[in-house]
Amino acid sequence: MSAMSERSYAGLGPRMPLRDLIFSPRHAAAVWRRNAQVFSKIWKGALLPQFVDPLFYLVALGFGLGTYVARVNGVAYEDFIAPGLIASAAMWSASFETTYNVYLRMNESRLYDAVLATPVEVQDLVAGDLAWSASRATVYGTSFLLIVTAFGLISSPWAILIPAFVLLGGLCFSVIGYTFTSLIPKIDLYSYFFTLGITPMFLFSGIFFPFERLPGWVEVVAWFMPLYHLVEITRGMATGPDGLEVLAHAAWLAIVSLVLFYVPVRALRSRLVA
Amino acid sequence: MTPGPSQPSVAVVAAGLRKSYDGRVALDGIDFVVEPGICFGFLGPNGAGKTTTMKMIYGLASIDGGELAVLGMDATRERRRIKQRLGVVPQETNLDGELTVRENLLVHASYFGIDPAVAGRRAEELLAFSVLDERGDDRVWALSGGMKRRLLVARALINEPDVVVLDEPTTGLDPQARLAVWRALDRLKRRGVTLLLTTHYMEEAARLCDRLVIMDHGRIVTEGEPGALVLEHVGREVLELQLAEGCDADALLAALDGRLDGHELAEESLMLYTSDAEELLAEIDQRSFPHESALVRRATLEDVFLRLTGRSLRE
Repeated sequence: MSAMSERSYAGLGPRMPLRDLIFSPRHAAAVWRRNAQVFSKIWKGALLPQFVDPLFYLVALGFGLGTYVARVNGVAYEDFIAPGLIASAAMWSASFETTYNVYLRMNESRLYDAVLATPVEVQDLVAGDLAWSASRATVYGTSFLLIVTAFGLISSPWAILIPAFVLLGGLCFSVIGYTFTSLIPKIDLYSYFFTLGITPMFLFSGIFFPFERLPGWVEVVAWFMPLYHLVEITRGMATGPDGLEVLAHAAWLAIVSLVLFYVPVRALRSRLVA
Repeated sequence: MTPGPSQPSVAVVAAGLRKSYDGRVALDGIDFVVEPGICFGFLGPNGAGKTTTMKMIYGLASIDGGELAVLGMDATRERRRIKQRLGVVPQETNLDGELTVRENLLVHASYFGIDPAVAGRRAEELLAFSVLDERGDDRVWALSGGMKRRLLVARALINEPDVVVLDEPTTGLDPQARLAVWRALDRLKRRGVTLLLTTHYMEEAARLCDRLVIMDHGRIVTEGEPGALVLEHVGREVLELQLAEGCDADALLAALDGRLDGHELAEESLMLYTSDAEELLAEIDQRSFPHESALVRRATLEDVFLRLTGRSLRE
């Protein structure tokens, strides 16, 4: 019957005029507030695991392995990896929010059908969800920043700007996760996203080792990974930044976020407004 | 909620409305006009196009062809403005499971940009209206099916809509819960709200709808007031006969020729539509056509529905 064909997987869907990307900030804000309200009920339980996770890496690798590694590029190993773990905390947060959480809201509780029957349109919904996911990532990243600061691993006052860049990086990870969610027909495919996308990015974006002594193509590959750019920014801010380089990395994150926004809006439109 | 001066003279106008999904026709050019302040029903078997029509009205289905105006606004171009004045009770329960009953109403209000203080007041009114005042702080999953449906109706009213779309609002409810939803809809009608209703329950349509259409295969088969449709298509009364073995149905029909408004024969069971079923039964007995059972009853919308859309299964 009709309900079946309407909810079936729609792929990217038909072409969509770019003006359909223009969202209403007021309606996107309502979506953001709904998500924040739900988070405010569960934040204690939700914050802890994703918070302890980078802490374990810091302790095991930074203080454990670091005892043997001694120094990387002239800094102690724990100092080297701490800023990168701020970036990866944001990545994990944004990736979980825009994969499983969005998928369940869209396909299990059918919440998006209810929202789209109000004056909220698809582009408002996506924008609100993305803004929320980026905010949540900033909460995680900033919490970890406070921890590593308490450990004395931050040496530059520029670090105070890290949350702003984590927000931008969180937005970029959110758009990527949301894009994947908007295009997949079933929830099982997230194992590919995490195993082939997020985990390798976590390991090979320069958090744990620098690229200087590796073949040149390694850095070329890394350049395509959003986490690499955020790690470069957070490390720069934590140790004293090279202004131009930071802006270049930030521009990469901003441009990818902006361009990719089109995909989930178009895919969700064809999926939810058939 | 009384119709203001801006109220257009018609609530919904559809002309030649078409839609197909992957080449399969869901709506094959339908026309209807809904006057404001009435309850307008859409009946039809599964796959007839009812839900598609509803979704077009509240902006969750695109329109392939034809025109659709809701409250005087074009359904494609002015979707956001239309939705601002609509309430929607969807077929599927899609409450926000991570929020409480009251929060469901408040968050829904925020999508309409309703001031939080106003929303809070309306939420309390609607909790009372839907007899959920005791459950405001409960999580949604703790509610029974009937309570969830009532909450869906309450949620649809948070923006004080001019038109409320109800897609099978009582499917799966027990008789008490259904009655409670009906009472709520009666109260809305008295306030002048236009109701658009799809249902599979003919007694529900007969009780609630001022006018209705019967749809089949993406087309409108007939339209009118429930009572008038019964008279027009079936007549006043029905005699249901279970024919005994050896009864010649053709001879029986021939003998009653001229006294029937219509009939339907499916295997051994014969439906005779007439103005006086008792008299007809007496006649049949007098001519001694053998039958195993006979039932005399008033004609209903169900008879109209089955006559027009057939008795075979659709799915």
